[in-house]
Amino acid sequence: MTVMRLGYVHIRVTDLEGARNHYSNTLGMSVVGEAPGYLYCKAWDEYDHHSVVLEEGGVGLVKLGYKVERSTDLDAYERACQQFGCQVERMSKGDNLAVGDGLRVTLPSEHTLELYHDIEYAGTETGNLNPDPEPRHPRGVSVPHLDHALVTTEDPELLERFFAECLDFRPAERLVTESANGELLGSWMFCGNSPHDIAFVKGPNGKLHHFAYHLEDWSKILRAGDIFAMDDVPVDIGPTRHGITRGTTIYFFDPSGNRNEVFAGGYTTYKDFPTITWTADQLTKGIFYIGREMKETFLSALT
Amino acid sequence: MDLIEVTVCPPGTAIRLRPGEALLDGLRRHGYTHRHGCRRGGCGQCKVDVVSGDVGYDVPIAESVLSAEERAARTTLSCRAVGRSGPIVIALRDETLRCFFPWPAATQHQKTM
Repeated sequence: MTVMRLGYVHIRVTDLEGARNHYSNTLGMSVVGEAPGYLYCKAWDEYDHHSVVLEEGGVGLVKLGYKVERSTDLDAYERACQQFGCQVERMSKGDNLAVGDGLRVTLPSEHTLELYHDIEYAGTETGNLNPDPEPRHPRGVSVPHLDHALVTTEDPELLERFFAECLDFRPAERLVTESANGELLGSWMFCGNSPHDIAFVKGPNGKLHHFAYHLEDWSKILRAGDIFAMDDVPVDIGPTRHGITRGTTIYFFDPSGNRNEVFAGGYTTYKDFPTITWTADQLTKGIFYIGREMKETFLSALT
Repeated sequence: MDLIEVTVCPPGTAIRLRPGEALLDGLRRHGYTHRHGCRRGGCGQCKVDVVSGDVGYDVPIAESVLSAEERAARTTLSCRAVGRSGPIVIALRDETLRCFFPWPAATQHQKTM
């Protein structure tokens, strides 16, 4: 019984056509579905139907979808989330385009998290029979797949306990006020083998800090930066490296102001991965290892 | 091209805004900046107060970022608001204008002399 990965991010955008241009032409996702007020996008190395849903009207996060290993596990997750005290409802096939039955959980942080197993299989752009390593005609940044999301919560301890106890996530790295009995300020948690599948830092409930795409390496991060300059994408910070997760990064904004990230590197985690601790006095190094300075709006610009 | 004069307080620096140019973009073109986040109207970090003159928006702004009450009180997103009629006076909130590049302002000053 395992949560496998972040499967989809559903966000609001003030300008659907601007969002189409950003996610399709700049980032290189394919628009795989359309409905009035909605666009469904998939990255080239993803197998499932879509990974980003864009909904017209407003800004910010509607929900995160995490794919579980077996649909028969949903009953157990439902019980665990209810026992934790979360509001849980069943979602039915068709509630989300191409997604089957599942659970809709309101997290202690007021975010909506959906758990599902069944989603239409679409296959990657390069296929899985004698595949080429990348698409012959990449578009823009050509992001291969979604990586993780970072949200804010008033109570990081509680949210960390939820992900650990109900969904069996483990903290790869924790940010605390001080090393001995410090208050938890943030946690980077994994369910697969990457440094984080979900992360959260202290802040208002229900808000999105960013969601991230994986890139192959540092040279692809630089190339993404070139594309952002060509397309006049507002860059928040980067290219640089994180102390936390060891990843290389650029943070940038979509045309509605939702923060995105391209993320490469990091390390491999396993179930026995010992948790890394960062103390608040080293926060700027933890977040931006090279510059060691925090932009004044990095933690407060949320959608 | 009808430029709109914008004065930003503090400290009372005047710049000229191009038609369709957002306040923050005009400031940046002159080498000035102030607190901002996404530059796309989504995070509300660049809120300022319009003291006189009129501004408007050429793109939709989320109600969750700028409420009807705030709009009525002339709270403005510097990154998205364009000049409608001037002269415009802007009051920054708990901050002062920062110069990150002095040459454009110096050049403009010489032209106006």
